[in-house]
Amino acid sequence: MKRSRLRLAAVSFLNTRPITYGFERGLVGKDRVELSFDLPSRCAAAVASGQADLALMPIASYASSDEELRIVPGVAIASRGPVRTVLLMGDVPWEAMETIFLDEASRTSQMLVRLLTHERGLTPRFESVAHDRIVDQIGGKRGALAIGDLCFAASSRFEHVYDLGADWTDRAGLPFLNAAWIGRPGAVDADDVVLLNQSLALGLANRDEIARSFAERDGVNVELYRHYFGQNIRYDLGAAELCGAAAFFERAHRAGILKTRPTLRLYPGKVQRKPVAAGKSLDTLLSDATSGQRLSLDDGIRLYQSASLFDLGQAADARRRQLHPAGVVTYIVDRNVNYTDACTTACQFCNFYRPPGDGRATLLGRDELAQKLQETVALGGIQILLQGGVNPELGLDYYEDLFRWMKANFPLAIHGLSPEEIRFLAEREKLPIPAVLERLVAAGLDSLPGGGAEILDDEVRRRISPRKCDVATWLEVMRQAHRLGLRTTATMVFGFGESPRQLALHLDRIRDLEDETAGFTAFICWSFQAEGTKLPLRDDTSATRYLRVLALARLYLDNFPNLQVSWVTMGPAIGQAGLRFGGNDFGSAMIEENVVAQAGAVFKLSAEDIERAIRGAGFVPRRRNMRYEWL
Amino acid sequence: MSFSEVARKVRAGEALSAAEGVLLYRHPNLVELGALANEMRERLHQDRVYFNRNLHINPTNVCVAQCKLCSFSRRAPDAEGAFVLRVDEAVARLQASLLAGDAPTEVHLVGGLHEGLPFSYFVELLSALKAAAPGICLKAFSAVEIFFFHRLYKLSIEEILRRLQGAGLASLPGGGAEILSSRVRKAICPNKCGAEEWIEVHRTAHRLGVKSNCTMMFGTVETVEERVQHLLRLRDLQAETGGFLAFIPLPFHPENNALFDRPAPTAAEVLRTFAVARLVLSNVANIKAYWVSLGLDTAQMALWFGADDLDGTVSEEKIYHLAGARSPQSLTPAEMARIIRTAGRVPVERDTLYRALAPRPQQEAV
Repeated sequence: MKRSRLRLAAVSFLNTRPITYGFERGLVGKDRVELSFDLPSRCAAAVASGQADLALMPIASYASSDEELRIVPGVAIASRGPVRTVLLMGDVPWEAMETIFLDEASRTSQMLVRLLTHERGLTPRFESVAHDRIVDQIGGKRGALAIGDLCFAASSRFEHVYDLGADWTDRAGLPFLNAAWIGRPGAVDADDVVLLNQSLALGLANRDEIARSFAERDGVNVELYRHYFGQNIRYDLGAAELCGAAAFFERAHRAGILKTRPTLRLYPGKVQRKPVAAGKSLDTLLSDATSGQRLSLDDGIRLYQSASLFDLGQAADARRRQLHPAGVVTYIVDRNVNYTDACTTACQFCNFYRPPGDGRATLLGRDELAQKLQETVALGGIQILLQGGVNPELGLDYYEDLFRWMKANFPLAIHGLSPEEIRFLAEREKLPIPAVLERLVAAGLDSLPGGGAEILDDEVRRRISPRKCDVATWLEVMRQAHRLGLRTTATMVFGFGESPRQLALHLDRIRDLEDETAGFTAFICWSFQAEGTKLPLRDDTSATRYLRVLALARLYLDNFPNLQVSWVTMGPAIGQAGLRFGGNDFGSAMIEENVVAQAGAVFKLSAEDIERAIRGAGFVPRRRNMRYEWL
Repeated sequence: MSFSEVARKVRAGEALSAAEGVLLYRHPNLVELGALANEMRERLHQDRVYFNRNLHINPTNVCVAQCKLCSFSRRAPDAEGAFVLRVDEAVARLQASLLAGDAPTEVHLVGGLHEGLPFSYFVELLSALKAAAPGICLKAFSAVEIFFFHRLYKLSIEEILRRLQGAGLASLPGGGAEILSSRVRKAICPNKCGAEEWIEVHRTAHRLGVKSNCTMMFGTVETVEERVQHLLRLRDLQAETGGFLAFIPLPFHPENNALFDRPAPTAAEVLRTFAVARLVLSNVANIKAYWVSLGLDTAQMALWFGADDLDGTVSEEKIYHLAGARSPQSLTPAEMARIIRTAGRVPVERDTLYRALAPRPQQEAV
């Protein structure tokens, strides 16, 4: 059966041109796509009224939609730092503005200026005005929020100009997501996702041409537009952009600007990224990877085996700087609560578990938990990392009760239950994985830790943890969690005698899933802590290998926004050095960590120690949450 | 002046100025700095990392100096925990270690400044140890002790050294240099010999054919400029005598001493210091990562930031462990070789004078 054509409604501003380029030129989707242009706010209306299947819609419209919507992965209009086309302008400073006029064309920018005004503790009057009349309102104590191309000409006319993209990123440490392709569930399939990404890829490849033709049209210097396309607007919708949007919704909700905190959910489908051509020299490969280009599996292995420690380190450091140009290294204050040590998986490398029913296995009671949670709050903690053994006596209702009780009594995020625990619950309750996750989310689960990945290779897993979930299941739990809008991390423990290929495959598999879901916020790796476990240590778990693996991961995982260094397992010295080998996050000022402590790692650092280590490596420390939003 | 200009000078083998040393110290890109130091280190030593088998003996912990940075010393001979090792006890320790399998090639002797001991004690100590193991190298008495002997026993520095040399002294350890600056010494170790005196002891030793090491204890009150000046003074003496075997950067350890409220330098600072030292001290062949002080993790990383030596197996080390060092008490040669190999380097056992030794069979049992 021939499908009906996909009707797209796009914004008519300059910044959307790279996104629609492939369609406009008829280079892709000629038989599939029908394209029309309008103002941002009207694009949303086109989807609501059924006139369009998909619209390049401001995310504010996504947030306030009555019906459930989905976002196309990979394509965005976003910024990280100055955006140039979302400006608050006036004759007086922000604090002195009594009225701020809002451009009707963009609800997202309206929300943003309201939020940033609120966070400054200011209470001016807001008034909406038509897009083409906005600049005329400015004068005296009247400022105005202007968006779109008119900002280029208008910004030089006023004494006080605030770039709201820059203002947001300075506060949150995250990108700002303005708009994305959004529609009803089922409106596009995986092939359409590929088409939409192809149109953008063609546009980005021809950015200079677009800049030139529009600069001629508008009679401006072509460099202005080239810079705008190249530096100001970011067209990728990845994990960082989704976190930026989630942070925006959360803050707007707290400020009373947004009634709900909508979950960001993507269409199924995948961003296809072509790796750099084979047969390049190591130097070329490193410089390609430094600029964020994709490495093939074979080239990843080659870099790991052949590049020198310093070449890898310098490339990873440069890539880190590109992703995190502010020179900030983040950390979180949370507490690791291992609620039970009863566990049926009996992994060879674990020193923590007790077989259920052997009389020594324990489960933390509510009183003990309450004390731990209270202490966490008192110490400035914002999150609980809740992981345990796979305890057959605990069903889904136990966790639902636990989460509801925690949420009702403590202002703490729940970062809990690794894929193995989720898989076990699904099996025990005879429910599909998404159903388990949905119930846990409803009870208060905020995010999933990426533990239990060890090496994502079934040969290695059979050897070290035969009863733990296989690679496909681990990835499937993460896929389903991401689809529901949960953010998760991904870990890797190396040093089990895996081959370089198996190690690189681990990275490849999580990178592949990230292309699909953009749900991993961070990658964390460490070397296996052998002491006291059943596995005799025979692999290289040295500082230098850790730094190599970390640097490789920074280069290979081009779609992961954050890399944590693992001071808890590697020690503060190696953790600190890791900040110069690709790491941009110092992990957690953990209040306790039982599992690793049992296996011989006994490092303890306070928030003060962590900040000193971060400063000592030449960075500015900032606290964060699980979205990597600055607090 | 820029990093790349300094790098060019390094590659051309030109000596760096104080300003250039400071520039390197302040260079924000630690990995780039490390890579440059590593380049020089590999030019000098390729992939090799040296280590030796050594026994630590502290003759006494009674010390008049009472430095704020020390956790080891006791003021009075009758204070709790104060000790003086008898010569026969020291010999017994050496003999025990010779029988234990991994026989040391070096005895490292340093102790407190004890006013109540005769000079003959120290001469006899060395003679007895040498008699017990004629093949062994005695690396004994820091410049601070030598200078103290000179004052206490009213003999010239040269005479003190000659007599000790006659009893078997092969080299001097590099300790007590701290920072060679009167301002810093006044603040942290006012009762130790001065900077000039430290230099004079080493100069005299070198003239007599006694080789020595040199150190820098950093992380107390000194500035970056003072650290670089310290390195330049050592480089100047080396240009004059050629008697230094190795330079050893020592981060300050804060526990159990009067400078307690000051935190220890972080790993990044330590690695930076190794790199700068390697680059500035172009005429000192070896840079030692003293693992007891650094901890194994940082020591392993230092092997990529300029260091080519991991010191020894270090039986019975006390001074750093009392100051809170969390490193193991000692390592076997096999463990040392393994640590070096997993850092991506090639272990080479050496003697005190940095002559490579043929591998003993058990060293390969990794």
